[in-house]
Amino acid sequence: MIKNTEGLIKNLSQDLYPVRPLPSPLIRTLLWIVILCPYVVLVVLIIGLVLRRPTSTLDTRFVVEQIFALSTGIAAAMAAFASVIPGRNRSFLFWPLIPMVGWLGTLGEGCLRAGTLETSFHHNLWCFPYIIILGTAPAIVLGVMLRRGAPLTPHITAGLGAIAAAGLGNFCVRLVHQEDVTVMLLAWHVGGVFLVAALSSAAGSYMLNWRSVVGASAKTRG
Amino acid sequence: MTESQESEDRFRRLMGRAQTGDSGAYAELLKEVTLVLRRVYRRQKNFLRDQDIEDLVQDTLLSLHSVRATYDPSRPFMPWLLAIARNRFVDGARRYSRQGAREVAIEDPDVTFKAPSTNTIREAFGDPQALHRAIDQLPSGQRDAIEMLKLREMSLNEASEASGISIGALKVATHRAMKALRRLLKER
Repeated sequence: MIKNTEGLIKNLSQDLYPVRPLPSPLIRTLLWIVILCPYVVLVVLIIGLVLRRPTSTLDTRFVVEQIFALSTGIAAAMAAFASVIPGRNRSFLFWPLIPMVGWLGTLGEGCLRAGTLETSFHHNLWCFPYIIILGTAPAIVLGVMLRRGAPLTPHITAGLGAIAAAGLGNFCVRLVHQEDVTVMLLAWHVGGVFLVAALSSAAGSYMLNWRSVVGASAKTRG
Repeated sequence: MTESQESEDRFRRLMGRAQTGDSGAYAELLKEVTLVLRRVYRRQKNFLRDQDIEDLVQDTLLSLHSVRATYDPSRPFMPWLLAIARNRFVDGARRYSRQGAREVAIEDPDVTFKAPSTNTIREAFGDPQALHRAIDQLPSGQRDAIEMLKLREMSLNEASEASGISIGALKVATHRAMKALRRLLKER
């Protein structure tokens, strides 16, 4: 054995510095939203006012859809934060499911009301760059915050993180995306969320792994 | 109060103090946790050697140290510890299976091709026992560096964390060790 375990314990304990226990997943989620608020408000204002994109009208169906989209993002973020805490009950995996079902339900109902199949397949793609702009910042901030946890389930954590970021981005884009819900909107917006989640999940172990966590800890120490 | 409840309370107290920077409490906690981890990993001894168990214990201690901020003092300590231990065990098992898939055990292939000129493998390289003997002859610093970086495939950061040696010193030690090993194996 290179360095005996007693030697390792001595090394780890002698340069110990205080750490503040991570706040609960709920508090960290709120912190994530607070950090992003100025950015989101600014981007939505720029898109809505400067670029003169009309803001969406506040009918009941739209409000319910937005509540579910935002809840999906928040629940997925809380689940992602819970997934990096060792010893937590795995029931957190189901947290985003309920709002997600509601979100898909309202979108599906909108599709049915959109009219003919022909109009339903029409969709403007101008919103695509805004989804990227509004989804990237939440993803980066969340990624940085998640790296402060234990990479126990990197694929699940990354997938949940992507759903959270895409859900929040989607919520913001819909504020300036005044279109009826169509099959294409469903495919682009919700399909996009799932695609990003799948890709992110596949790359999870590259973003979150013990090697980088232990390495980062060594750098902080040294 | 049962014995396990007592040790749970004790671990919680020690970890809480460790989070405030109390080195003594942390060293005490890690020593006791080491015993728990050895016991947990030994239950898997059907395929783990003592050396593997000690490697896993050390990996787990490093991981625990890196994510100690994730421990919430108001929650139980043992589920937190065992979640990390299980995770590191699964990682370790994956590593062993990967190594197993890459390495093929063959018993002294004494012939490659018929022509004598092709049968020079054993003379040129490939004698692991000679390599181990050569590693044993290295000064302790160089031996540690080789074992951590080459045999256990730790990153420089991980090796530095585990040994308390700076990354620069590890690089120098590895370079010197490789040079010495080449010389020792040539002299054979």
